[in-house]
Amino acid sequence: MARKKDLQAVARRTDLARPIGVGVVVTAMLPLVILPLASIFIFGLSKGPVHFWEALVNPAALFSLKLSIMTSSVATACNVVFGIIAAYVLSKYEFPGDSSLTIIISLPTAIPTAVAGFALLLLWGRSGLLGQFLEHTDIQVMFTTSAIILANIFVTFPLAFGVIKPALDNLDTSYEDAAETIGATRWQTFRYVVLPSLRGAIITGALLTFARSIGEFGSTIMVSGNLAMKTQTAPLYIYTKFNEGDIEGANAIAAVLAIISFAIFSMIIVFRKRLGR
Amino acid sequence: MARQTMVSIFPEMKAFADHTPDLEAALTVRNLTKSFGAERVLDDVSFTVAEGESLVLLGHSGSGKSTTLRLIAGLEHPDGGEIFLHGRSVERLRARDRNVGVIFQNYALFPRMTVAENIGFGLRIRGVKSHKRAEITDRMLVLIGLAEHRDKYPWQISGGQQQRVAIARALAYEPDVLLFDESFSALDPQTRVGLRRDIRALLRRLRVPALFITHDQEEAMELGDHIAILNRGRLEQTGTPDQVYNEPKTEFVATFLGAANVVAAIAHTGAIELDPERLLPIRYNSVNPGPVKVVFRPEDVVLSTPASTPETPYPLGRGEIVDVSFTGASEAVMVRLTGKGELSSISEARSQFQTGSLQRSSARSGIVIKALRTKWDARHFGLHPGDAVSVGLRHFSVLVD
Ligand SMILES: Nc1ncnc2c1ncn2[C@@H]1O[C@H](COP(=O)(O)OP(=O)(O)O)[C@@H](O)[C@H]1O
Ligand SMILES: [Mg+2]
Repeated sequence: MARKKDLQAVARRTDLARPIGVGVVVTAMLPLVILPLASIFIFGLSKGPVHFWEALVNPAALFSLKLSIMTSSVATACNVVFGIIAAYVLSKYEFPGDSSLTIIISLPTAIPTAVAGFALLLLWGRSGLLGQFLEHTDIQVMFTTSAIILANIFVTFPLAFGVIKPALDNLDTSYEDAAETIGATRWQTFRYVVLPSLRGAIITGALLTFARSIGEFGSTIMVSGNLAMKTQTAPLYIYTKFNEGDIEGANAIAAVLAIISFAIFSMIIVFRKRLGR
Repeated sequence: MARQTMVSIFPEMKAFADHTPDLEAALTVRNLTKSFGAERVLDDVSFTVAEGESLVLLGHSGSGKSTTLRLIAGLEHPDGGEIFLHGRSVERLRARDRNVGVIFQNYALFPRMTVAENIGFGLRIRGVKSHKRAEITDRMLVLIGLAEHRDKYPWQISGGQQQRVAIARALAYEPDVLLFDESFSALDPQTRVGLRRDIRALLRRLRVPALFITHDQEEAMELGDHIAILNRGRLEQTGTPDQVYNEPKTEFVATFLGAANVVAAIAHTGAIELDPERLLPIRYNSVNPGPVKVVFRPEDVVLSTPASTPETPYPLGRGEIVDVSFTGASEAVMVRLTGKGELSSISEARSQFQTGSLQRSSARSGIVIKALRTKWDARHFGLHPGDAVSVGLRHFSVLVD
């Protein structure tokens, strides 16, 4: 026993790599990630919670938060539904060009968000490819809520698909075979067998999409027009308030966005764990 | 006994001969052919499962067993041949319209449904009202003895219990035939044996026709009213367990179903010649003259003192003990057939055993065969390497290539 303890002590003493390694990681993260995040909350509460609350309940601030949550939810719903359909089609059927289609679906994340916003302007803008036909109608896409949703959809397009497709590929086909021999139609098999098995992946995909949407800035600022109380999302509000010198106003919304992101992130971790079971 | 070998008297063969499906049969498969790419997986496979009976499709891994099952279930489409369920061709029917029950190798219980929901799934699909569904589900749960597990999820119950649920899930919608794909292979040996017995009793009671698939010959013997032996996509033989074990038609069948001595010989009219001293009588003209193989099981070999002649229909002359190994219930004895050193007619003799050991002996050294004795025989008449014995056969069959 004593000998064993000695050996363990020796091992612990000689393994300096561990404390040094941990030290390096934490030291690097401190100025890069941890301190910037912490300063949001430190600053927000430095003038007292009343001040913070007042900045938060400002109508324009609340509007921007609601708008962000609404547009992100719509974009998330669209991309999750699309992701499920696309994953099913690409996983179950073989057709010419199926692998290129997978790559094309995944492309939007690789495109800079400013480029994505610009591309939408060129399509839907007043003299754009499709926009020119709307010129003499009452319908306007750009600089409206629709534009924000379109930008969110574009930027987060492959996220849900990217989580659901591998889950579907890994789903043992014998469940579907079993359902079919039992007498289920293709739709019943999908509805009662496939979809429930994808639940974890769908929730994870939705959370990822929502998290990415709610923070979207680059494309939104180009297509939304950034009109307060009309098309100003939360990230645009932070940017605008900061430019106006209203640091407290910017900070209140920044803190809320940060908390929402933390919450979503924790949920993703929980579902990832569930998924593994 | 050996005379029957060349006569095939299997009732199901008649159905193929006159090319009308056996209307009495639950399942008829005729001339089934299937290729994947260039690989021919099934070649002209025909068999019948009679109403209320079970057939075991026995073959090595990759011989095409699962493919046969998937074709019957409608999960794959044949390149040629026909499948009849109760005399009705299912060619145009989709899997979901065939009303077969499949018990998959991994059971394929739906992971997000409870045991009860799994069992009720077929009824739910068929629009059965929930109170009626619950009633049938409960009856099934009692039938398989898992009533207290109704609200558990598949991962919360054992492999053997999962298999019972898979069977109940299929039985609930009253399928025309049950198809089992290697359903016992994933279970530990004790569970396997018990479950096999339970399921056989259950199927007997319910009179549900079943097709079992397995690579395990012991399982095949136990589960099958008939056994069909599949070898690389071709059916080698179909018959009752007794027929395929005692009257194998091919060397593959003989060696697959258990330990067998396979000895090269020459057929004459009225006798099979192992060597000039060893002639085995057969019915006149029942085997065409020429090279054949003689097959006999180790337990069909009788050993006695050299002075006496064994009381068996087929004496094989003298032999010398090569090896003796006692295994508890029985004793395995290796015997070299000796004579005047004149085993000249035997070009090559071969005996293959369950253990996988392959014995070849040239004409000079004499054929070595395996004999199996009960522990009582072993006690009353002890044998040691080098002892001389008199050898006889109780039973043998003849294979023609
Ligand atoms: N969907 C498939 N595509 C290509 N080859 C297949 C497919 N299914 C089975 N095979 C091939 O057919 C052969 C027989 O397979 P299978 O019927 O599963 O054999 P068994 O169940 O007797 O082990 C194997 O060589 C296997 O590789
Ligand atoms: Mg198989």
